[in-house]
Amino acid sequence: MAIKTGTSARKKAMKEQYIRLTVNGQRYDLEVGGEHGQVDPAHTLAHTLRETIGLTGTKVSCDNGACGCCTVLMDRKAVLSCMTLTVECDGKTITTIEGLKDPKTGKLDPLQQAFIDYTAFQCGFCTPGIIMSAKALLDEYASPTEEEVKEGLSGNFCRCISHYQVVKAVMAVSVKAR
Amino acid sequence: MRSFTHINAGTVHETCALLSKYNGKAVLNAGGTDLLSTLKGEHLFDYPEAVINTKTISGLDYIREDGGVLEIGALAKLSEIVKSPLLKKNYMALVEAARSVATPQIRNAATMGGNLCQDVRCWYYRYPRHIGGPIRCLRKGSGPCLAVKGDNRYHAIMGGRRCFAVCPSDTAVALVALDAQITIAGPKGERKIAMIDFYSPLGNALKKDEMVTGITVPRITGPMKQRYLKFALRKPVDFAIVGVASVIAIEEGVCTDVRIALGAVAPGVVRARRAEETLRGCYINEDIVSQAAEEALAGARPLSMNAYKVEITKTLVKRAILI
Ligand SMILES: Cc1cc2nc3c(=O)[nH]c(=O)nc-3n(C[C@H](O)[C@H](O)[C@H](O)COP(=O)(O)OP(=O)(O)OC[C@H]3O[C@@H](n4cnc5c(N)ncnc54)[C@H](O)[C@@H]3O)c2cc1C
Ligand code: SF4
Ligand code: FES
Ligand code: FES
Repeated sequence: MAIKTGTSARKKAMKEQYIRLTVNGQRYDLEVGGEHGQVDPAHTLAHTLRETIGLTGTKVSCDNGACGCCTVLMDRKAVLSCMTLTVECDGKTITTIEGLKDPKTGKLDPLQQAFIDYTAFQCGFCTPGIIMSAKALLDEYASPTEEEVKEGLSGNFCRCISHYQVVKAVMAVSVKAR
Repeated sequence: MRSFTHINAGTVHETCALLSKYNGKAVLNAGGTDLLSTLKGEHLFDYPEAVINTKTISGLDYIREDGGVLEIGALAKLSEIVKSPLLKKNYMALVEAARSVATPQIRNAATMGGNLCQDVRCWYYRYPRHIGGPIRCLRKGSGPCLAVKGDNRYHAIMGGRRCFAVCPSDTAVALVALDAQITIAGPKGERKIAMIDFYSPLGNALKKDEMVTGITVPRITGPMKQRYLKFALRKPVDFAIVGVASVIAIEEGVCTDVRIALGAVAPGVVRARRAEETLRGCYINEDIVSQAAEEALAGARPLSMNAYKVEITKTLVKRAILI
């Protein structure tokens, strides 16, 4: 069972058996085990996010580290959720594409808005991963150059060849920050 | 992925004890960017009983200089190596090699130790179970090497014996050029060996109950020009088809000291010693560098489909010295 926020009494017992994640500001205490709704040691973070927590915005394409579709932020750094074991994420803070909008107003992150304004996708399958990589880049350097944007997004593959528009969209946000 | 027992290791000693206890049935997981492919593909016949997480060992992620000796812990992330001001100042070959690995997301997770201990990428060896694998081959203990008669375009052009898969690590090449040592811990304590002796045609120098704890690079005396040049089909993501690292001291045009390491051409990293001898003490110009490049590849015995790697390697050797 996915339980949100444990009591302090439970906290004591959960040292080994629970994985505590903060996903988009929400705390999840996930029980380790082989039952439905639990985290098996072999579950990837991508699996847990999509199948256990139900956040299907994160996509899985190659499931092998090569495409970047499954990119999420872990402690503000872009990582591949398909190459990460959930049992090794205890105490981590995760941001997924669902966590970018303003939680109160629902207003999109400027990066998300730029992707719409510049039509920076076609099928959209790669988009959540690309936006998360771009987010990590802009968090670290507010106004990267075009070269830095290309380098920062070099781990994200777009099968539909939207990457020219993607670079324009990210540059628009980068330039605004100057 | 099939399930396994998962253990968070507390110390190096505990890790070695666990490896010992599981007697070959446990594997280490650091960044996981290589191991998870192996577990998902199930391309080996033995699936591990236990996965031991090393990230929970504290104090193994250092990047520091101690009395002029560089020390990097097995858990230092490649992204930290790329960013480190210390490394940028004196160990550019390693920075360039680390930066050439995979993608930004992978470098955020991948570790020094994992990069050095990663398994080979031979496509027969890695053929996944869910599309008809695993495939038997010599490296897995039975049958011939399929690459000899098969598609060997990315395999070894020298030094192959029985298995022709190449060492895929970029950082190992730079570390050999920097004359690094690798520190290995076992249940009875630590030992150090030269980076160049770490790889063998069928694996590496680690025993079943040993792990890598870090690397050291001896003091660099005087200004050294350092390079790591990588030829790959796509600049990001792809593994090296050839990688060349060079560390060279040039005084008034004359080479006073040089080390050249060749990667992705053999089961381990290769030192181009004859080429180094040719360059040492000589005025550096195109002619001498071309001669050195020929000598660096003198021992090449390409397979049926990979003679092109010989020419690429020569070109990278020339560039690494001249540019
Ligand atoms: C798409 C893609 C592209 C890639 N491109 C490159 C590339 O260009 N160049 C390159 O070099 N690599 C590349 N890799 C391979 C891999 O990502 C890197 O080599 C990475 O550095 C591995 O580090 P890790 O910490 O993730 O290793 P892990 O996956 O954690 O471990 C790798 C192996 O080493 C063992 N191991 C880990 N730490 C230790 C230790 N301290 N002691 C003993 N054994 C240990 C593990 O048991 C495992 O067998 C690529 C991978 C992918 C998926
Ligand atoms: S090169 Fe090595 S891993 Fe590849 S098929 Fe031959 S023996 Fe197996
Ligand atoms: S799905 Fe994770 S990198 Fe492709
Ligand atoms: S928009 Fe289709 S994969 Fe990028």
